[in-house]
Amino acid sequence: MKFFRTAIGAAVLVTCIGQTASAATGNVLFNGTITATCTLTVNSNGTMTVSTNLQSLSSHNAGGSAGSVQVDTTGGVSLSVDPVTSTTVPASDVTATTWTPTFASTGAHTIAETGTTTALAAPGTSTVAVNLAGTKGGSNRFSAGNYQATVTLRCE
Amino acid sequence: MTYVRILAAALAVALVPIAASGQSMTPMRGEVRSFTDAFAVRVFPGNPYDQRIRVEIHVYDQNFQPVDARITPNAFLLAGQASRPVLVVVPFDGATERKVRICTESIPFPSEQTQIRAQICGKFFGHRRF
Repeated sequence: MKFFRTAIGAAVLVTCIGQTASAATGNVLFNGTITATCTLTVNSNGTMTVSTNLQSLSSHNAGGSAGSVQVDTTGGVSLSVDPVTSTTVPASDVTATTWTPTFASTGAHTIAETGTTTALAAPGTSTVAVNLAGTKGGSNRFSAGNYQATVTLRCE
Repeated sequence: MTYVRILAAALAVALVPIAASGQSMTPMRGEVRSFTDAFAVRVFPGNPYDQRIRVEIHVYDQNFQPVDARITPNAFLLAGQASRPVLVVVPFDGATERKVRICTESIPFPSEQTQIRAQICGKFFGHRRF
C-alpha cells in the first residue's frame, strides 16, 4: 500500500511538470503624445555702452552686457530674432543708426552668435545670450542721452 | 499589505499627468478642418514667471503680416505659473486653406536699456470643407 501511494504521487507530479499556471495575464498599454513646446523666460535685459569713437552703441562694448533668456523645449522648434523696429533715442540724435540683434546659446543647444533662424532639434534647457549693436557710419556719432531698444526673441 | 498600498499609491501618483509649469503656449502645431468660413483654435498661453505678467496674443500670416482674427481675450494679465485658454477664430477670407501663426507675446520689463520681448509662435493650418 505504501508503495502504491508513492507511485501514485510520483505519477501526479510527473503529469504536472510542464503545465503553466492557470492565472490569466493581460497587457495594459499606455500612450502619450508630446507636441513641440517652447518656453522663454527672460532672466535679464541687456545694457549697451558706447565705443570710444562714439560710432558703436553695443552690448558687446566694454561695460555692456547681453540679455539672458532661458529656453526650455521638447525640440522640433526654431529660434530667431526680429529686426529692431522699436527704439527710443535722444532728441539730439538725428542721424541714422543700424541696429543688429544677435543671439548665442549654451547648454542643451550650442549656437554660435548669429542673427539668423536656428533650429533647436534636441530637447533640453539652454541659456540664450541676446546682444544688440547699433552702429553709425561716416561722421555720424551717438549723442548724449538715453537710448532704448526692444529685441524680439521668437521660438516657433 | 500596508507596503502594497503604499506602493500602489506611489505608482498612481507617478502616473498622474504632470503639468508643465513653464509652458508659454500650447499647442504649437495644429491642423483644423472647418465647414464654415472660419476655423477656430484654442491655445493656452502660460506664465513661466513667479509674478503676474501682461500677455498679448497676435495672429500673423506666413509673412508675419497681421491677420484680422477674432481673439478672445487678446490681452490679459496672467498670474505667476498659470495658464488660461484663448480662443482664436481665423477667417478663411475666401481661400480653401490658410496657414497662420498664433503668437503669445510677453510685455518686456520696463526701464531697461535693451528690452527683450519673448514671443512664442505656433503654426496652424486651416482647411475648409464644403
